[in-house]
Order: sequence, then C-alpha cells, then structure tokens
Amino acid sequence: MKAYLSAFRMRRRLEVQYRGAVLGGIICQMFFGLVLIAVYKALYAGKPQSMPFSHIASYVWLQQAFFRMLLASDPDLLDKIRTGSIAYDLCRPLNLYGFYYVRIVAQKLTGSLMRGVPMLVFALILPEGWGLSMPASPAGLCLGLAGLMLGLLCVSALENITMGFTMRTLDSRGMQGLLNLLMMTFSGNILPLTLFPDSWQHVITLLPYAQLLDTPIRLYTGEALPAEAPRMLLIQLCWTLLLTALGILFWQRNQRRIEIQGG
Amino acid sequence: METIRLYLHSMRMLIRSQMQYPASFFMQTLAQLVMEGGEMMAVILLVDRFERLNRWEAGDLFFFFGLMSVTFYLTECFGRGITGNFPHLIRTGQLDTFLIRPRGTLTQVLCSAVDPRRITCIAVGIAALVMGCNMSHVLWTVPKVFLMAEAIACGFFLLLGLFTIEGIFCIYAVKSVELVNALTYGGRSACEYPVDTYPRPLRALFTVLVPFALTMQQPGSVILDKPLFDWPAWTAFVSPLSGVALFGLIWLWFRKTMQYYRSAGS
Repeated sequence: MKAYLSAFRMRRRLEVQYRGAVLGGIICQMFFGLVLIAVYKALYAGKPQSMPFSHIASYVWLQQAFFRMLLASDPDLLDKIRTGSIAYDLCRPLNLYGFYYVRIVAQKLTGSLMRGVPMLVFALILPEGWGLSMPASPAGLCLGLAGLMLGLLCVSALENITMGFTMRTLDSRGMQGLLNLLMMTFSGNILPLTLFPDSWQHVITLLPYAQLLDTPIRLYTGEALPAEAPRMLLIQLCWTLLLTALGILFWQRNQRRIEIQGG
Repeated sequence: METIRLYLHSMRMLIRSQMQYPASFFMQTLAQLVMEGGEMMAVILLVDRFERLNRWEAGDLFFFFGLMSVTFYLTECFGRGITGNFPHLIRTGQLDTFLIRPRGTLTQVLCSAVDPRRITCIAVGIAALVMGCNMSHVLWTVPKVFLMAEAIACGFFLLLGLFTIEGIFCIYAVKSVELVNALTYGGRSACEYPVDTYPRPLRALFTVLVPFALTMQQPGSVILDKPLFDWPAWTAFVSPLSGVALFGLIWLWFRKTMQYYRSAGS
C-alpha cells in the first residue's frame, strides 16, 4: 500500500512542474468555454428549452474545468514498452496494473485540480448567464463531488484498458485516438449530453463515458434531483468495478505474452 | 516555380513513406473521421433541437461548418510542417540544417511534412458543404464558384499565418506555446458558426484582428445570398485578400525573428 502511495505522490509532483503550460492551457480552455456559451446563448434566444440556460453555462464550465481528467494519458508506458525498459517495472514487487492505475489517477487528479480550480473561480465571477451558477443545493454539491470521485476512478480504469491495447500493438495512436474521440463525444465535452435528443438520453447516460463528468455535473446543477442520486451513483460504481476487472484481466493476459523489445 | 516543384516532390516522397505502415495509417485516418464526424454530429444535433441560429437556417449552418473544416484540414494536411512539426524542429535543433541550404526557411519547413490522414476530415467537410448547399438551395454561377475557391485559398493562408505565429513564439521560447491555440483551434471552433452569433468583442476579434469573417464567412454568406455585412457585392471578392495580407505580414515577422534564432540542438 505504501508503495502505491509513493507512486501516487511522485506522479503528482511531476504533474505540478509545468506551470507555464498550465497557464496557457487554462486561458485556451476559458476561451473555448466563452465561445461555446455564446453559441448556445444565441441558439437559446431563438428557441428556449425547458432546461434553464444557467444549467447549460454551468455544464460547459465544469466540462472545460475538468477537461484534463478526460484527456491525460501516460506516455511513459508507451516509451517503456518500445524501448524494453518495461522489464524494470516487471521486476518490481508490485502489481503492474495497480502501479499504473495509481499513477494515472494522480496525473488526472492533479492536472484537473490545477487547471480546474482557477477556471471555476473565474467562471463564478462572470456575469449572470455567462458564468457558473451555485450548486442547486448543498446535497447536490456533496453528491456531485462523490460522483466526480467515482468518475475519476472510472476514467482511470478506461484509460488503463486503452493502455492494454498499447501493449499489444506497440503503435496504438489509431486505437487511442479512436477511444479518446468516443470519450470526447459521449462524455459531453463537444456537446453537453443534456442537449442530445431526448430519446437518446436514456441510452447515452448509461454508457461508461457519461459516468465520468456528465453524472456529477447533473447532480451539481440539479438537473438530476438528489432522489435520483443513489441510482446514478450505483451505475457509476458498477461501471468502475466492471472496467477495473476487465482491465486487470486484460493486463494479466498481456503480461503473460509480453515481449521485451530492445537489446 | 522551382519552389513549387520542390514542394510537390517532397509531398510525393513523404506520402509514399507514410504509406509504408498501411495498418497504422488506416487506423489513424479512421480516428480522424470519427473526430470530424463527431464535430459534425454536434452541429446536426444542435440544429435538430434549435432549428436555427438567429437568421441562419440549418443549411446555412452546415455550409459554414463545411467551409471551415475543408479549409482548416487542407491547412493541417499541406501545411503540416508549420502546424505540427515546427516545435519539434526547434527543440531538436533540426532547423539548423535548413539554414545552410540555399532555399527559404519557411519553404523548407513546409516541405518537411504532410499529413494525408486529414483526408477524411476534408471529406466530412465536403459532405457538409454539399448538404448545406442542397438544403439552402444555392444557385451556382461562375462568380460564386470563383468566390468559393477564393475563400478556401485565402482561408488557407490565414490559418497558415496563425500557425506561423505559434512558430515565431516557439523560436523565442523553444517550447511550444499553447496559448496561440486559442487563435488557431479556438478560431476554428468559433468560426464554424457565423460571427454575428458572438458578442461584440469576440466579433471584433474574428473580423478585424483575425479576419476569419472577412476571409471566409463574407464570401460564404454571399454565396448563400445572405450577406453577413451590408456591403456592396463586389467587396466579397476583395475582403478575402485580408487573409493573404495577414499571412504576408506574419511571413515578414517570421523572417525578422529568424535573425534571433539560437540553436537548441547539440
């Protein structure tokens, strides 16, 4: 356990290093957020929807703030596999899956907190209709935070499955790109899931991608009432357990047939 | 002429070398298709829910989306040396080898890479354009075809110029400066929709400072017979040149900056 904790801490420290890049990233994300909100605002002016606009604005900001949670991957592993230094990792008295799981959680958590907190502060002080609204209720905030934690575990498990494909094919840019893009679309980053056609909602909210950010955001904005929370959190938990189990099996099979490259 | 011949020759070589790994190429091209398809799906779903954006109807919106994606991905495909590889050239010091050859630096950078995977994105853009033209019942005439070609060509130079700014910062900073992405990728995302969607500061940014509106949207809207700005019709032929002019200015800036280039390689 202690070993995994220190792997977590090391990864966190590495992530804090590139502060300049973080600042550039934050400004970019904010710009994207403003543009998206302007478009949705103009669309809303033409044909108001049943959902209040402040929910959409909050949705956009929360998605932008935790963008890093979706799209952060560990390039080290790919390099290690390609150069053969994966052999060192295999010698460690640790479970390989657990080791990389902890690293990816640390990376996603630190990365999104560093970017997300300043952005959310900025979004909170924006004028009405442009910025982030307060949570629907204290219960909504707490449930949203719980959902976010489960979402983090779930996305990390997904990331590790993608990594499993990397181990197999060495060059996995295609596969990784494909999975990342599915994630971008069905996690609500390109278009809030709440704006998808109503008939699709029943299906897409059950997909694993919706568990990452969509569920916590709905709980935060009050789009989903606290009464629905147990069901939503249960779905999240099921996906997290299922994906983790699949990942562990996948990695075990990969490890049995791993070939060390290089010489 | 010599420059163009060299460029075409390099493109042929690079494309052939990329085709050496067909499986990986195929997967990556497919990934691009899903990416751009996802973006287009977002527009379709928005249109499905909201029907119109101010005075722009569904067909118009698909048209603007298609115009932007065709132009943007043509730039990403053929300007890959600037849009993708430049920070790498700087960081590894490979740019040094370009300086001792008797050709322009920017030419050689452009000749150094191509990205044929973008072909699927361009295809999605063309599909959107065709769909938009059909839904908005565009009546094609010779001047309109010319306008379309001009808009895409000038938009290409405008985007190339914006990516060159990223390169210029990179010469100073050695690391790639993500901030400029707000103009390039942000500009693409924002100007998939007509600029009159946006509040005044953003509209000014994309009309005056980074003239996506003048280069692509004004001619585009004239093709749709719904001019974006109430200007005489002939201005639509002139306004795209602002993109080329901006590229010219940035090219001069790039040359100036190259004087301060210090190699990072060893």
